[in-house]
Amino acid sequence: MTAVLVIEDDDRIRLALLLALEDEGYDARGAATAEEGLRAQRRDPADYVLVDLMLPGLDGFECIRQLRRDDDVPIVVVSARDDTHDIVAALEAGADDYLVKPVAIKELTARLRALRRRARAAAPVAAEPVPVLAFGDLEVSPEAGEVRRAGQRVPVTRTEFRLLCELAEHAGRVLSRQQLLQRVWGYDTGDERLVDVHVGRLRQKIESDPANPEHLVTLRGLGYKLRR
Amino acid sequence: MSPLRRPPRLRLGLRARVMAAFALGALLLAASMALISYELTRQSLIDERERTAVRAAYFDAAVVRSGLDTDAPDVVEVLRSLDTGSSRRALLHLDGRWHARIADSGLTAAVPPELQQLVGSGQPAVQRVRVDGQTALLVGVPLSDSATYYEVNSLWELERTFQALALALTAVAILVAGSGAALGWYATRHGLRPLTAVADAAEKIAAGDVTARLDPATDPDLTRLSTSFNHMVDQLARRIERDRRFAADVSHELRSPLQTLAAAASVLQRRREHHDERTAVAAGLVADEIDRFQRLVNDLIDLARSDQPAHRAPVDVADLARRACAGHDLPPTLVRLAAGTPATWRVERRRVAQVLANLLDNAVRYGAGPVAVRLSRDGDTGIIEVDDDGPGVPVEDRAAIFDRFVRGRAAHARGTGDGTGLGLALVAQHAAAHGGTAGVDDRPGGGARFRVALPGSLA
Repeated sequence: MTAVLVIEDDDRIRLALLLALEDEGYDARGAATAEEGLRAQRRDPADYVLVDLMLPGLDGFECIRQLRRDDDVPIVVVSARDDTHDIVAALEAGADDYLVKPVAIKELTARLRALRRRARAAAPVAAEPVPVLAFGDLEVSPEAGEVRRAGQRVPVTRTEFRLLCELAEHAGRVLSRQQLLQRVWGYDTGDERLVDVHVGRLRQKIESDPANPEHLVTLRGLGYKLRR
Repeated sequence: MSPLRRPPRLRLGLRARVMAAFALGALLLAASMALISYELTRQSLIDERERTAVRAAYFDAAVVRSGLDTDAPDVVEVLRSLDTGSSRRALLHLDGRWHARIADSGLTAAVPPELQQLVGSGQPAVQRVRVDGQTALLVGVPLSDSATYYEVNSLWELERTFQALALALTAVAILVAGSGAALGWYATRHGLRPLTAVADAAEKIAAGDVTARLDPATDPDLTRLSTSFNHMVDQLARRIERDRRFAADVSHELRSPLQTLAAAASVLQRRREHHDERTAVAAGLVADEIDRFQRLVNDLIDLARSDQPAHRAPVDVADLARRACAGHDLPPTLVRLAAGTPATWRVERRRVAQVLANLLDNAVRYGAGPVAVRLSRDGDTGIIEVDDDGPGVPVEDRAAIFDRFVRGRAAHARGTGDGTGLGLALVAQHAAAHGGTAGVDDRPGGGARFRVALPGSLA
């Protein structure tokens, strides 16, 4: 059974979400504070974490950073705040997706399924060997789920890896933000900031100078491209 | 705004008025200077000319007198011996008869009888007269009881000089007036520059940039203007921020309980078959109303913040329209891109997606379903039209339906409608954010045609 950890300080919201998620067939677990959530995740890691941003004590942003430090579990922010500033900060902290309350349960489970597809795609598939894709000092190996720069393994999250694979498979070609949203996040129409922040996070990891990228370049008004 | 922009009657602008005042002042000054110098020059030249003429006449009179002082004087010969040049003409009145060097009938008539009398009584005299239509100076010198000598000095050359002088002075006056106007134009350009800065700042603020301020240090005379302007903008910015924070707080306070309701309703919905009929109906109502409430809150929040200008980027609007159709379970073949219209427009994606979704929603709810989504262009304006097959919109309702909380009045569908009443208001506001308009008309062949114009989308 797929486990979901819900970190939410509002008891009623948490209870309602747990009930609804259990109905949808998830092993739903609750935590009222970031500290409690972090402890629970270390003790018995869930497959997904839903995080509210306004939490007592440690806030949601710090909670995401600490979760991200431990592993690459998909993190979805479920917040009543819809400021650009909050959304970008949460994504930069390491969140994979951002949903604004109130989220319909159908929408929430659809988002989780999309993340699951990504998690699968990033996991090793033994059926047929996929060659390692090399771009200068950058190596992407879809099969091993690994990224190496100058021979050194670079830790990336599953979403970052999916994004990089999508760009690597179409290396030399421009992918628009909407195309990437659709292929990586499964959104028909979505928030393009999701793509921009993830590209920024990837650049921090794969570029020697993230401000002047040589691999993952922006084409103004068009989208992104991974140079061959 | 319009009474401020349009003055009640046609008036010259500040700049034109200052220019005119400068030009008029310069013209008055230059004209009076010219007039005075003309008069002074004229007077002194005429005096000078008169003195010369009198001196020459006395000299010639002496020559004539000595010529006549013989026993049998030859008057013509005496007159001929005078060296008068071309500008002086001599006349001798001797024993009641006129003598001239050359036969000249008009000349003698030019001597007025009063002058003849005066000179005849032994008084030398000077008078200005007209000879052959020209002014001339007539000098009379008594020679003896029976003889008087006259000399006619032509003032023609002097008149020519005066004409040239007048022409030159007029030209100078006009030139000075022109320079005055130019000075006025230059002065106002510099004088009005701070106002241009104010206008620029006001435009920026109107466009949504409330950080625009005037530099109070540029001109000490304008410190009060810039200080009060900046103060006004500070107040405005504070107010906008307060409103924004209020909207954010309200939305947060509404959204959190809605999340609980949405999740709880989905639990109820899932167990519908376990409930008895009454409970199932009640659970269905709760779920539907929560869904509508959710959309209402989202629309309200969108409406509260959509009065900012659009953030334009290239967007494949045809693709967006097809996706919107798919989202409403409508065939993508409804979308028709007019010949010569590119699919990619410079618009804000989120807003145009919502415009399309809301227009389709409106057509489904009140217009018996959309029959076409047309994308075309008019110059650089992108035009989105959604046609439906419904009863159309009465002329008197065509403006009102774009107001908030007006729903399908014409169709009497308010009771059954589950729209939020904000859909078309959002369409109008998104159009306005692009500097455009939203409207509705009759579709040829029945139904309504909603039309959204987005200027600057196809630059």
